[in-house]
Amino acid sequence: MERHFEIELKKLESRILEMGNLVQQQMQQTMLAFINSDVELANQVIENDNQVDILDVKIDKLCQRVFALQQPVASDLRFIMSALKINNDLERMGDLAVYVAKRVDSFSGYEEVLIDLHIDEVANMSVMLVKEVNSLLSSKQIVLVRDILDASQALKTKVKGISSKIVEELMHKSHDVIVVATTLILILNQVERICALSNNIAESVYFIIEGKIVKHSRDFLEDQS
Amino acid sequence: MKEIKIVAKDLSIYYGEKVAINNMSIDIPGYKVTALIGPSGCGKSTFLRTINRMNDLIPSFRHMGEVTVDGLNIYDKDIDVVNLRKKIGMVFQRSNPFAKSIFENVAYGPRINGLKAKGQLEEIVENSLKKAAIWDEVKDRLHDSALGLSGGQQQRLCIARTLAVNPEIILMDEPASALDPISTSKIEELIHQLKESYTIVIVTHNMQQAARVSDYTAFFYLGELIEMDKTKDIFTKPAKKQTEDYITGRFG
Repeated sequence: MERHFEIELKKLESRILEMGNLVQQQMQQTMLAFINSDVELANQVIENDNQVDILDVKIDKLCQRVFALQQPVASDLRFIMSALKINNDLERMGDLAVYVAKRVDSFSGYEEVLIDLHIDEVANMSVMLVKEVNSLLSSKQIVLVRDILDASQALKTKVKGISSKIVEELMHKSHDVIVVATTLILILNQVERICALSNNIAESVYFIIEGKIVKHSRDFLEDQS
Repeated sequence: MKEIKIVAKDLSIYYGEKVAINNMSIDIPGYKVTALIGPSGCGKSTFLRTINRMNDLIPSFRHMGEVTVDGLNIYDKDIDVVNLRKKIGMVFQRSNPFAKSIFENVAYGPRINGLKAKGQLEEIVENSLKKAAIWDEVKDRLHDSALGLSGGQQQRLCIARTLAVNPEIILMDEPASALDPISTSKIEELIHQLKESYTIVIVTHNMQQAARVSDYTAFFYLGELIEMDKTKDIFTKPAKKQTEDYITGRFG
């Protein structure tokens, strides 16, 4: 017979995956809305954030209950500690999706600016990164940790390049263009936050598997090889 | 560098034909608390009782290998077992005060060691009761029967009785398993204080207790030492799967 504790742990695991899928969906839709200036889709993202928030609280409560009643140790302890952090990081990603969604209408009439700057590449890379985070959460394969760190570094580099280009090429144009360009920079800053949150989650999964706290250390994967 | 107080080397213990401990080696550090954990019958209590040769009282007991305390082989034929047990005190699961007064319980050890001076005895009794964190509760009724104390107080009295002969090592065999949570926490707090001056080895079935009180944890299974490490490492990332399965309750 399966122990009550294991049932709770499985429930937590499946809630985290549910959260991951929900946030991935939010990210996909917000990026799609962004590059197509699709305000209707953006509004859906804003509306759906409610589901992310509800699940966030459910996961927190479940972790609290397991800590209080089961006194987890070893791998169970690492998993539940990490579940709290991963949940928090995913919820923040959900908020970033909403941040982007709320600014989609700013680009109506300025679609060519997005095309010229290849913003679709940033959007695709962001969605791919969140997908990879989800694969890591479901498979817990340590090899994916490296992929995520690499993908997030590539995205950051891309974002920096585009941000510089915006400053160089758009900031001396008309008032309207400058407003659009500023909004774009703000969104790109949020994309950088997606990279940081993805890295956090990768580090949390690494902690679950290896039992080592690796945040703030850049070369932990080198120790592996 | 931690000082090693107790060493078992290639130790095997038999009760008749039954192997209780199978070729085990372990180093127990001084002035630390080491918890021995493992399922019933794993050999942890047998090992604890080996350290002060309590097992000698069991006729079918025999051993191979070596146990040293401060480098001296305690099974050497020249070892005076009475002196050894003076150096290595023991506290049991069930508190076992003598049917005497509180004072006499604590004075008993020093008295049979030949101490007669009343002033000195009083000083030892007071200090021992203070170290065992029970002085304030009993100082006004030292000459009342020890049997009138609560279970938790009796256990702390037994610890005071152990301390009165000035041991270096204290062995504890599930010292809080029969106590309520408040008494248990007093005993655990006491263990924290005592490790400044004593080497403590504790057998416990309560995993959280091992985690709370000990610096090192040794996991025994089927008469073998599976793993010993710092308690914080055993309870966050044990090296062996058997340890992980046991402490997370997935055993068997």
